[in-house]
Amino acid sequence: MRRTYAYFISPLLILFSSLVQVHAQDTIPIPLKIKVGLEVSGPAIYFSDKNILNAEGYISADINEKVSAVLGAGYLNYKYSQYNYEYLNKGMFVRTGVDFNLLKPDKSLGKYWAGIGLRYGLSLFTSEVPSFQKENYWGTTSSSIAKKTNWGHFVEVSPGVRVEVFKNFSMGWTISLRMLLYTGTGKDLRPIYFPGFGNGGKTVSKSLNYFIVWNIPYKKINIIIKKEVPEVTEDTGTTGNRQQATGIRP
Amino acid sequence: MRKFIPRNLTIILSGLILFLLSCTPESCFEETESFLKATLYLNETGILRAPDSLTVYGLNMETNKLYDKTKKIQIALLPLNASTTNCLYIIRINGITDTLVLNYSSYPHLVSKECGYTFYHKLISDSITYTTNAIDSIYIRKNTITTFNEENIRIFY
Repeated sequence: MRRTYAYFISPLLILFSSLVQVHAQDTIPIPLKIKVGLEVSGPAIYFSDKNILNAEGYISADINEKVSAVLGAGYLNYKYSQYNYEYLNKGMFVRTGVDFNLLKPDKSLGKYWAGIGLRYGLSLFTSEVPSFQKENYWGTTSSSIAKKTNWGHFVEVSPGVRVEVFKNFSMGWTISLRMLLYTGTGKDLRPIYFPGFGNGGKTVSKSLNYFIVWNIPYKKINIIIKKEVPEVTEDTGTTGNRQQATGIRP
Repeated sequence: MRKFIPRNLTIILSGLILFLLSCTPESCFEETESFLKATLYLNETGILRAPDSLTVYGLNMETNKLYDKTKKIQIALLPLNASTTNCLYIIRINGITDTLVLNYSSYPHLVSKECGYTFYHKLISDSITYTTNAIDSIYIRKNTITTFNEENIRIFY
């Protein structure tokens, strides 16, 4: 009989908790921003290695507290040489996509971002192999591959973090994992390195980028935050011990 | 705000550590030589079988033999000269000498950033000429010569 009461009372408690929770909702203002980001590791690397100049940046606009639309662009001037070949690549790229903030609004407060970006990238580049040597049984053959302009495109997944270090200025990093879709060069002469993608000799490339971001708030929205309901106790009476029921969240 | 500063620094510096860890140099581990792979078949039985001895060298390369009375060779690996469009090999099977002329075109191929470029070749169909002292016949199995382990020609002796 006591168990029957328990079954009857439990739904009522759930309903009551839900009603309580409606009244427990609160709102917080979240600023939507336009963000202008500059990648800083590329110029830093160029400072120590004059063979790689990668300059890139992006502009993004918050659509809501979770999603931002992103458009990025950049330039690459890449020179590489080793004992058996030289390689040059120069060009530019654009990337477009969305960023998803995985932090809850009451944690991010418009200042913190930890999430994932999805991008599509398009690259226009000119590559050239001024010289290469191949040695075998018959001796050394020297050759070159003439300058040629190609389009390449790729998709990218980029998890990362940003934190506001000063008012309206953020810093953070992104790990980019890119998958090559097409290089336009054919399978024999894939670009060793090309703008926006990186190592074109492989189908998947990865990189780590550091960004400094200028945030320009353009609108504030109020986000409803559901607070936790105070604990409700319920005596099931089955064992005689008092058990605690946690707050029920829809 | 103050209590967030150490956390902010931790987040930013964790990226720097990841960046430093990602800067590891890589080496060349791939095969960079594209050989013509010639399998040796005994004509009487039609079975893949190594001759008792095999000697192979290029024209005017007698002092630098690829195989010198070598035993147990079922697949002979013959490098081609990318500077020319044909190669002439002297092949001595069980002490009997033949010549083999291969006609082909060559084109560059990227192996990897670490290894650089090599040459791939394309055998011109019906352009293999050979003497028939020990060799009975030769068939082209795959005319693209790459770094992959694929049979290109089949020599019956």
